[in-house]
Amino acid sequence: MIQPFTAEPIQWVSESGVPVRDLPERFTPQLLRDLHALMLRAREFDRKLITLLRQGRTTFYAQSSGMEATQVGLARSIRVGHDWVWPYYRDHTLGLAMGVPMFELISQCLGSNSDPSRGRQMPHHFAAKRQNFVSISSSIASQVPPAAGNAMAQKYLGVDEITVCTFGDGATSEGDWHAGMNMAGAHQAPALFVCENNQWAISTHLRAQTASENIHIKAKAYGMPGFYVDGNDIVAVMEVCAHAAEWVRAGNGPALVECLTYRVGSHSNADADAEKHYRTREEVEEWLGRDPIVRIEKLLEHLGHPISAEERAQMIAQTHREVDEQVIQAEATGQPDWRIIFEDVYADMPGHLRDQEAQLRAEQEAGQEVRA
Amino acid sequence: MTATQQRNPASGGGETRTINLIQAVTEALHEELERDERVVLFGEDVGARGGVFMATAGLQATFGKHRVFDTPLSEASIVGAAVGMAVRGLRPVAEIQFADYMGPGFDQIISQAAKIRYRSGGQFTAPMVIRTPSGGGVKGGHHHSQSPEAYYTHTPGLKVVMPSTPYDAKGLLKAAIRGEDPVIYFEPKRLYRASKGEVPVHDFTVKLGEAAIRREGSDLSLIGYGGVMPDLEKAADALGAEGVSVEVIDLRSLVPWDKDRVLTSVQKTGRAVLVSEAPRIGNFMGEVAYTIQEQAFDYLTAPVGQVAGFDTPYPYVQDKVYLPGPNRIVRACVQALNY
Repeated sequence: MIQPFTAEPIQWVSESGVPVRDLPERFTPQLLRDLHALMLRAREFDRKLITLLRQGRTTFYAQSSGMEATQVGLARSIRVGHDWVWPYYRDHTLGLAMGVPMFELISQCLGSNSDPSRGRQMPHHFAAKRQNFVSISSSIASQVPPAAGNAMAQKYLGVDEITVCTFGDGATSEGDWHAGMNMAGAHQAPALFVCENNQWAISTHLRAQTASENIHIKAKAYGMPGFYVDGNDIVAVMEVCAHAAEWVRAGNGPALVECLTYRVGSHSNADADAEKHYRTREEVEEWLGRDPIVRIEKLLEHLGHPISAEERAQMIAQTHREVDEQVIQAEATGQPDWRIIFEDVYADMPGHLRDQEAQLRAEQEAGQEVRA
Repeated sequence: MTATQQRNPASGGGETRTINLIQAVTEALHEELERDERVVLFGEDVGARGGVFMATAGLQATFGKHRVFDTPLSEASIVGAAVGMAVRGLRPVAEIQFADYMGPGFDQIISQAAKIRYRSGGQFTAPMVIRTPSGGGVKGGHHHSQSPEAYYTHTPGLKVVMPSTPYDAKGLLKAAIRGEDPVIYFEPKRLYRASKGEVPVHDFTVKLGEAAIRREGSDLSLIGYGGVMPDLEKAADALGAEGVSVEVIDLRSLVPWDKDRVLTSVQKTGRAVLVSEAPRIGNFMGEVAYTIQEQAFDYLTAPVGQVAGFDTPYPYVQDKVYLPGPNRIVRACVQALNY
């Protein structure tokens, strides 16, 4: 039985790759290899996208390196395409693991014509209808009250779905976070809240964020269980998230899971030199030693199913090729037409937008330069 | 329900009844809850009590606690939950107890409700209505009297309406609930019981974005919306007694607004006076004035006049002074007529 409100994060596999609890049967070598492949793919996606950023082919990217076990583990604990997800802005690994095509993610980061969001949001703020992966907003914690409402609607409709809402540790300081948690609790909505506690909100450490001992104990105030898990241990993340999701699905109301993890890279390209300004190399090194990908490799080795260096290199090369090819394909689709400015503001275009569109069209047709 | 059953030529000859504005709101909600099971109604005190103005009185008893319910005292969660419900397929109608209290829900309105269709490329949409009592004249002080519509007219993706008659209140609300976009529906609270009028017995809607000509005239266009409309009528009466023919227009919808009807009127009369009770700086009527000078400049025989609230917080004791009553409206009209 998985207990809420533990003093220490729940762990299944130690940092040296040895199970500290009985490994559940479902974690066959094949499943562990699949999880490893997903995490490695996400890590290399990060690496390639940072390169794109440096090449000036995209303008913003928020890497999730170090947080793969949390996001892949969560993706593998819910019913993809059935449950609904209100994500936060660092969740591309969650999206990839949920089956959002890499091509869509790349297209969104490039603002190309193949972006389903039509180039309207800054890079890395994607939406994916098929996966019920609702659009990412930059306003911190603003997804939390809507997630509560999404779950309330599921309860009202009597559907066998839950809503998953993710956020970072910084979001838990926002009024919207408390409002959404309280709403979900008061209405016993089937919402699974997942804090991806990577300990840094840009340059503000968790200790400056809250005087609370940790995040998950705040669940108590909203009448829901709070689970605390080692977010770099994918087995523990999957066990705890699956347990919490089932508890929510059974109609017990919402739950909160806090995954204690670490963002090894910078917040974004806006603070590329994080160690110089707000954290120490020692701290980063310490967390690199808890790398979730290394941990699952050690586990597989411990179980007698090691991943060879050659195999690993092949997987990395394949992801790099895939990204390269898809970047070329996405760029080849060009940029969305200027008309997209006026579409999707309302269900039907009202008169004032038709007038403005006509004005811009006339300027275009007259050959006037309309770009700044 | 009150009830003078009579024929109303304006309603196509159907049966009508005379009700007040808040009854019209209640009827619209009742009928929409009955028509569509996706419609849910919630907010602070809307359930057993029926709202502080009793707009939702009796609805929980009729439709049950799962359709009409109270929420925690949190505008951010009321608006935000409405967004999530709408995205998941319901038709939420959220009540914010006073428009003055929309502040804590502001980010949910402008970042989530208004933008989710656009930013997701139409993959996700939030068809929802936020109802809220607005405006002054009820001795409410500044936290129960403000007119914050301009904040919302300034946000693409939102539709903004404010009725002044029971007919419009009912028809616009039903149209808003049936529409595909988020709508901020301001209810001029001082007209809740003061505004009475004929409303068809049969189902009807009023299209968002169409102004109503309350009376036709040839000398001056007097344009307003919401709580000030009875004062426009009084001013038009006073001017009429002096032989001035005033055309009175009720915008009803601010986004989208009926530019064509306003311009046609101004092109006929050559003079326009715009009235609202919101503070003047950034007032929505500034957009109307700009459009008139841009597109009907050659027709104007006088500068466009404006009567608005003052650029002060809403005062408690002097609220009758603050509001643009008939006298100030008449003076602005006379100034335009004598230019």
